[in-house]
Amino acid sequence: MSFELKERGNQLYKEGDYNGAEELYSQAISKNPREPTFFTNRALTRTKLEKWAGVEQDARAAVDLYGQKSPNSLKSRWYLAQALLGLHRSQEAYEVAIDAYRASLTAKSGQTENLSKTVLRAKQAIWAAKETSRLREMNQTLTTMEQLIETDLKRGLDDLQGQLDRGAIGETGFLEDQKALREDSEKNIQNLREAFRIASKGEVQERVVPDYLVDGITFEIMHDPVITPSGTSFDRIGITKYVEQSGVDPITRAPSSVNDLRPNYALKAACEEFLTNNGWAVDW
Amino acid sequence: MFASKRLGKELMKMQEHLPPGISIVKSENLEEWQMDIKVLDDNPLYQNEIYRLKFTFGSKYPIEPPEVQFIEIKPTSTEPPETKRPIPIHPHIYSNGIICLDLLSSAGWSPVQTVESICMSIQSMLTANTRDERPPGDSDFVSYNRRRPRDINFMYDDDNV
Repeated sequence: MSFELKERGNQLYKEGDYNGAEELYSQAISKNPREPTFFTNRALTRTKLEKWAGVEQDARAAVDLYGQKSPNSLKSRWYLAQALLGLHRSQEAYEVAIDAYRASLTAKSGQTENLSKTVLRAKQAIWAAKETSRLREMNQTLTTMEQLIETDLKRGLDDLQGQLDRGAIGETGFLEDQKALREDSEKNIQNLREAFRIASKGEVQERVVPDYLVDGITFEIMHDPVITPSGTSFDRIGITKYVEQSGVDPITRAPSSVNDLRPNYALKAACEEFLTNNGWAVDW
Repeated sequence: MFASKRLGKELMKMQEHLPPGISIVKSENLEEWQMDIKVLDDNPLYQNEIYRLKFTFGSKYPIEPPEVQFIEIKPTSTEPPETKRPIPIHPHIYSNGIICLDLLSSAGWSPVQTVESICMSIQSMLTANTRDERPPGDSDFVSYNRRRPRDINFMYDDDNV
């Protein structure tokens, strides 16, 4: 009975009626809350509807039912990481995704490529959040400083007006001094803005990923580089596919197997450091 | 797979800079591109000609090679003669445009090759050639071959051509 509901749900999902499908999966779950596929299907449906809190619940329920250690839970862990990204909990998303990515490599699961992409997305989200708050802080500081300069100008102008009223300076001197004060203040604000512009280097520096961090197969920044016996590093997924298929090293064409690939930890650290400061590189 | 992203990046790089004698003709979709190449030295076999290469990419690019062949364009009477694109004469290029080049076969391909590097290899293959002839058995091959270029087991024994 509950599986019939799931089948009907799958049908509606295929037709694009996600709300209808969600309702049917919910009915299936209330009849049989021990069946993980009901939860994974509802999680996927809710992903389409961007109901992230619901996706999180369903994905966690499915992972529990499959068991953390089971390779069957990898897809649910991928859904979970996406949900956490949707909920702006980037750090948690990263941790879920990187754990699942490692488990997926060990299990040789088909989810590895998806998980690898989600790891990079999460890194990007972490950087973007940091960057936004940094810019906001910078903007607040800039606003405060500009206000101080303007207050100072106003005080100077008031003082000048007082001198004129008391007859301490004449009309011509007053106009000249007033102009000088305004120009000084204008210049200070310009210098200040220029200094902030230079300091916020992310916006003015050219956004280029150095070649030594870019994978020669996908042309994207690496996050899990491995090195071949001939000494060239590639990101794990692409080179694994190529070596499995061809049985040779892509540069020297010497016979080679996946077991010859070794992690390149130093390069991995360099890629991680670059990504931490340059999350945009994920889309580069 | 990463085919479309990788091709997008190759295109971006090529739009910034291309080696002399190579130009992009068509790259709107990520399944088929066309490139024009010229031989730059004074090899009399290829003087004053431009040749058109057609690249066809599968979803497994760059793990698997693209299909690359020359295509012929004969201008009609209303089109300017400069639009002509013949099939270059070469002992490894059949008259239907199919190229016998190790790096384009499944066995000789490497994913670090790019559209640009393939064009350069073909350019130098022409530059180095002195023989004004088609591969042996050209007319039979052209009439009977129905296989896709990368599935044909060419003999790559003749390295001095």
